[in-house]
This record gives sequence, C-alpha cells and structure tokens, in this order.
Amino acid sequence: MKTYTFHVVGMHCKACVALTESELKHLPEVRHVKADLTSLSVEVGGDFGDKLPEHIAADLSVILKSHGYTLSLDRPKHIPKWRDFSVAIPIAAIFIAIFILLQKLGVVNLISDGNVGYGTAFIVGLVASVSTCMAVVGGLVLSVSANFAKGGSKFRPMLYFHSARLVSFFILGGVIGALGSVFQLGATGSLVLGLIVAFVLLLLGINLLDIFPFMKKFQVSLPTFITKHIHGLKEVNHILTPALLGVVTFFLPCGFTQSMQLYTLTTGDFLAGGLTMFIFALGTLPILALLSFGFLGIHTKARSSIFFKSAGLVVIFFALFNLLNALVATGYISPFFNL
Amino acid sequence: MKSIIPSILVAILIVGSAIAFSSKSASPTTGRGEIRVVDGKQEIAILAKGGYYPPMSLAKAGLPSVLKIKTSSTFDCSSALSIPALGYRDILPNSGETLIDILPQEPSTVITGICAMGMYNFQIKFD
Repeated sequence: MKTYTFHVVGMHCKACVALTESELKHLPEVRHVKADLTSLSVEVGGDFGDKLPEHIAADLSVILKSHGYTLSLDRPKHIPKWRDFSVAIPIAAIFIAIFILLQKLGVVNLISDGNVGYGTAFIVGLVASVSTCMAVVGGLVLSVSANFAKGGSKFRPMLYFHSARLVSFFILGGVIGALGSVFQLGATGSLVLGLIVAFVLLLLGINLLDIFPFMKKFQVSLPTFITKHIHGLKEVNHILTPALLGVVTFFLPCGFTQSMQLYTLTTGDFLAGGLTMFIFALGTLPILALLSFGFLGIHTKARSSIFFKSAGLVVIFFALFNLLNALVATGYISPFFNL
Repeated sequence: MKSIIPSILVAILIVGSAIAFSSKSASPTTGRGEIRVVDGKQEIAILAKGGYYPPMSLAKAGLPSVLKIKTSSTFDCSSALSIPALGYRDILPNSGETLIDILPQEPSTVITGICAMGMYNFQIKFD
C-alpha cells in the first residue's frame, strides 16, 4: 500500500471535507482517506498497482467532478486579483453612500399611523430594511449569500434562510403574544451580541475579499462533529445553516425588531402576535431578497470576482459600523455621528 | 496596485459628498427644549422619533428633574433608549410618554441618552 497527497481545488467548506472523504472511501482501491481544509489537500492510501500519481489524481477527479472538486499534484496558485479592487471600491462606495443618504431622508416619519395594524407592521418592516438595521441584518444576509454564491449555490440556501425567517417570526411572535413577555438583553448582553455580530461580519467580509487564502477556514458552517454524523452532508450545510441564521435574525440588535416585539406583547394573542411579526418580516423581505439574490444575475467569473469584493467591502463597513455603535451604545466612547 | 489609488479617491469623494449632503439637511428642529419648572421640579421634554429632539437641552443644576420622553408611532431605534449615566435602559412604548426621574445634578454635568444601536443621541447640560 502506498500513500499519496493531492491538492484539492474547490474544497472550500467543512462539509466539502467530509464529502470528499466519504466519496473516496467507497472505492475498492482506497484503504484510507484524510482530507484537510487548512492545507486544501487530501491524503489517500491504497493499492493503485503501478499507476502514476498523475493518473491516480485524474481517476479520482472523475469521481469528485460532480461535486465540483478536482485533484492535482501541484499546489494551485492563489491569485488575489488586486486589479478588481479598482472597480470594487467605487461600487462599494456608492452602496455605502446610498445607505448614509437613506438614513437622512427621514423615512421613519412615514410611520404615522397611531393604531398599529397589519398594514403598519408591513410599512415598519419596509422602513426597517433600509434603516440602520440594514447594517446588522442586511450585512448578515449579504455576507452569507455572497459566501454561499462563492461556493456555487446561489439560490437554495437563501431560499431556506428566508422561509425559516418568516416561519420563525410567526412562531416567536405568537409565543410573545401568548406568553406576554419579551426576550430582552441587558446592557452587557447587548454589547456582547453587538461585538459578536461585528466580528462575524468582519470575518465574512474579509473572506469575500479573497486576498488571504488561509481565511477559507472561517466559512459559515456547522462544526464538523455535527456534520460528520449526518447523511447528505452538502445538504445539511446548505439547509440547516441558513435556516438557523434566519431564526437568529429575530434576536439580532435592531430597534425596529425590538419595538415590534414590544408591540406584539400587547396583542396578548398567539395568532395576532404571530401575524404581526410575520407581516413585519414580510415587509423587510423585498430589500433583503435583493441583497440575497443579487448574485443570481452574475454569471461570468470576472464579474463575480468584482462583485464579491464589493460585497466584502460593504460587509466590512457594516462590521465597523456595528462595532462603533455597540461601543457608543454602552457609553464607552462618546457618540460622534447622529445618523 | 496603481489602478487602486484613483478608485480609492473616487470612493472617498462619493462617501464624503453623501456625508456632507446629509449633514447639511440634518438640523430639523434644533432649538432649546421645552423646560418648565413645576413645584420645584424641572420638566425636560424630549421627542423620540427617528432621533431625539431637541438633541441638546439646557437645564438648571441643583434641581430635581424629570425627563419626559414622548413617543409617537416610534418604531425605530430611538424607542430603545439607554441613559448610561442614570443606569436607565428600556424600550419605550410605541406611542405615549415615559417619565424618568433625575436627581439634582452638579453644574456642568452632561447626561447623554443613546439609542440601543448607538446612532441616535441627545444631551442634557446642567448649569
């Protein structure tokens, strides 16, 4: 038996590692397989007769091809494509400028109805999606969808994200209405949550810039010890992870979501509470869908590199925005801008 | 790398003009807050909706005060108010009035109120 080490092109997530291993393990020639995400390599031990390593790599690539991976003997070169930044930076700047201008338009004054009905809940949702909440929820949606799109799945993960988000807003809203109590974080809790959000966005944003190869480790995914024991590994990461993130948005720091939850409290009824939060989430959907499915229109590789870099820059801006806001809100640094 | 420098300049121009444009139009109801003294207690009125108005209030030091925060269909961040100096942190009702007591303050004390996400704030100066 001999052991060979191949470089894997396209193995970009924790589930991919397990998938690569489970696909190769079933071959009669193969005795053991060990894939590694850090070095993007796979170690294969087995009886291949007197085939050359090049041939083995080609043969194994055929099996992995349907998943989008290929094996090679040479380490694939990482090209950061610095030149794409000359286009990506202005695109990101336009997006950030629109965000700043939107905050100043006084969209909150559109909400003037004293009696909160389902119509108002929808408008509050619409306004929330272009407000500073965009820095939190929009930043998360943009970074997650871009990271999934980079891995090749543009549509389905975000579909699960939005479905799970709408369903969980209905259920959690209903629970708030029925129980009559709201989940509220204290000062320390809010700071910690704000810092976590900022940190996650920062990692995802830097990952999108695609300038540091070692950043691949920080992909959005469940830990390997969970994915290892579930069948259909690719499916788990592409369904469960986005769905869980959809549920998490209910608890993310956003003034609109919090005051809607507080209103829901007063309904005192499961159905009314659930519908209010559901319709609020529905109101946020148009803008969030735009951020989620914007990558569907990009087909050429040259363009997608530019768009991922732009998205990365915007996400990093949102991360810093959240970080500063979290520190301002706790009184650590004095407020310096009144958006 | 050379092509990045002009695009950074363009980016600074775009974002800079957005900030400049928005801060020009950004002083809607700046002015003295309505401060009344009733039974030896001064009442500081602040409207919370899409920010806090007036953003700066001048109050008398050495008097017990009550902060009267009015909300009217307020669903934005300004409804999630925290005043670190007073240890106050709560979500205001969507419409209504919230009263917060402030003990007599030393001259030149500044109390800052911030919304939970940090982008809206108001200040009360005592002298």
